[in-house]
Amino acid sequence: MKSYLALLRGSYMVGLVYRFGFLFSIGGNLIYMSITYFLWRSIYQNRETLRGLTFNETYIYVALGSAVFILLKTYVDWQMSFDIREGMVATYLIKPIDFQLYELFTSLGFFLMSLSAITIPTILLMVFAFRIEIPLGIGLALFPFSLILAYLLSFCFDYFIGLLGFYTESVWGLSITKEIIITVLSGALIPLQFFPEAIQKILLWLPFQAIYYTPLTMVAQSTLGWETFLPMLGVQLFWVIALFALTRLFYNQAIKVLRISGG
Amino acid sequence: MHSLRDYLRLYFIIETQYIKARMQYRADFIISSIGMFFSSLATLGIFWIIFHSIPDLAGWSFMQLVFIYGFYMIAISPMQILFDHIWNIRFHVQQGTFLKYYFRPLNMMFYYMSEMFDIKGLTQLAAGILVLIYASLQLDLNWTLARIALLLLTLFSASLVQISITVLAGCAAFWVLDAYPVLGLAWKLREFAPYPMNIFDGAFRFTFTFIIPLGFVAFYPSQLFLQPEEVSSLVYFSPLVGMGLFALTYWVWTKGVNSYTGTGS
Repeated sequence: MKSYLALLRGSYMVGLVYRFGFLFSIGGNLIYMSITYFLWRSIYQNRETLRGLTFNETYIYVALGSAVFILLKTYVDWQMSFDIREGMVATYLIKPIDFQLYELFTSLGFFLMSLSAITIPTILLMVFAFRIEIPLGIGLALFPFSLILAYLLSFCFDYFIGLLGFYTESVWGLSITKEIIITVLSGALIPLQFFPEAIQKILLWLPFQAIYYTPLTMVAQSTLGWETFLPMLGVQLFWVIALFALTRLFYNQAIKVLRISGG
Repeated sequence: MHSLRDYLRLYFIIETQYIKARMQYRADFIISSIGMFFSSLATLGIFWIIFHSIPDLAGWSFMQLVFIYGFYMIAISPMQILFDHIWNIRFHVQQGTFLKYYFRPLNMMFYYMSEMFDIKGLTQLAAGILVLIYASLQLDLNWTLARIALLLLTLFSASLVQISITVLAGCAAFWVLDAYPVLGLAWKLREFAPYPMNIFDGAFRFTFTFIIPLGFVAFYPSQLFLQPEEVSSLVYFSPLVGMGLFALTYWVWTKGVNSYTGTGS
């Protein structure tokens, strides 16, 4: 365990080097949040609610979504692909550590970095500078747990793409395809309520919604209550366990085809 | 000095080699092309979903937005296909490999950008053309030869706007250690170019018209075709905006190139 925490600390420190980048990311987020404000204001016009959501609820959902989006990008797929091409993977494989956990803890360092340097400042600005009123409900208390589960899920997808890179060597195409599928189907850009009903029903059965829709709903509609949120958390947990197990199984297959040149 | 013909011939030779090298990762190439096609259509999916709940967005119908989006996809493709190497400039500048571009008797911007030719951008271009044709059929737009010429001219200018904004952001690499966030921001803002500018309030609309002229990537020029009777005089400037902005970008690039001192390694 100690060695994994060292990995986490290491990647956190690497992240600290790019302080200029954080300022820019926060600035970028603020611009993005302002633009989405205008966009959704003109979508709502004078309507009280759309699809059962008030403007305030939708806006919290979308704005928080943009802050969380940066956080949930693990870049594990890009990193793995880089390591495969440069032959670095070999040096990880000979170490007495689990490869999946190695990747997870390295990326967790960056997660904590962007959480403290980008997401939390953005949320604070959202509340204090933009004066957005976030409803106080039980969902807010559950949000941190949901966010961690969402991160683990996002990690599983990125790790899976990274493993596919053992076959294709370059993951550019797979990564953007994965990204677009997750972004659209998870409700990262627009609450699931806005989708046509038949599509909504299908999406709720897929793992993607557990990445964005679940945590964002816990803040945007935080007063919905235990009976709504607990099953949502349960579904998230189910997908985390299932996808962790599946990617572990897949690793045993993928490692057989891995060819490393150089390093 | 080389003539334009020499440059075209050179470009062709360089790209043939580049494409051969890319084909090393054949599976990834095929998946990239398909992925690019669908990811460029994703925003249309979002429009479609939003229009399930509302009849119009700030006075614009769904099909009009589809037209603007098709225009946008075509306008951003030259950036994607021909200038994609701008994304790597920070590595070259940081690691000192940028020096090699000084040693050829070629235009440096040409030489630098020629090192990449993004083939998958062609699928985005194809998707854009299909979307534009589909929308103009649905909207029953009246195409004469003159209007098609105008369309090509405005598309050319709009693509220069997109190229300029991105290359300018990339040029930050000459002055700051990590230009990635600057480029990332320019890239993120680009997503808002296909939205009607009249959803924005004064300050933002001013910014997107005069400071970071995103409005000229798609919204303003496509008004020439969607509502030719009621366009503001601003719209007629759109061909000039692209050329003026590109001249500025080239000037900044030259400044950056001249001030770069290498890394000593």
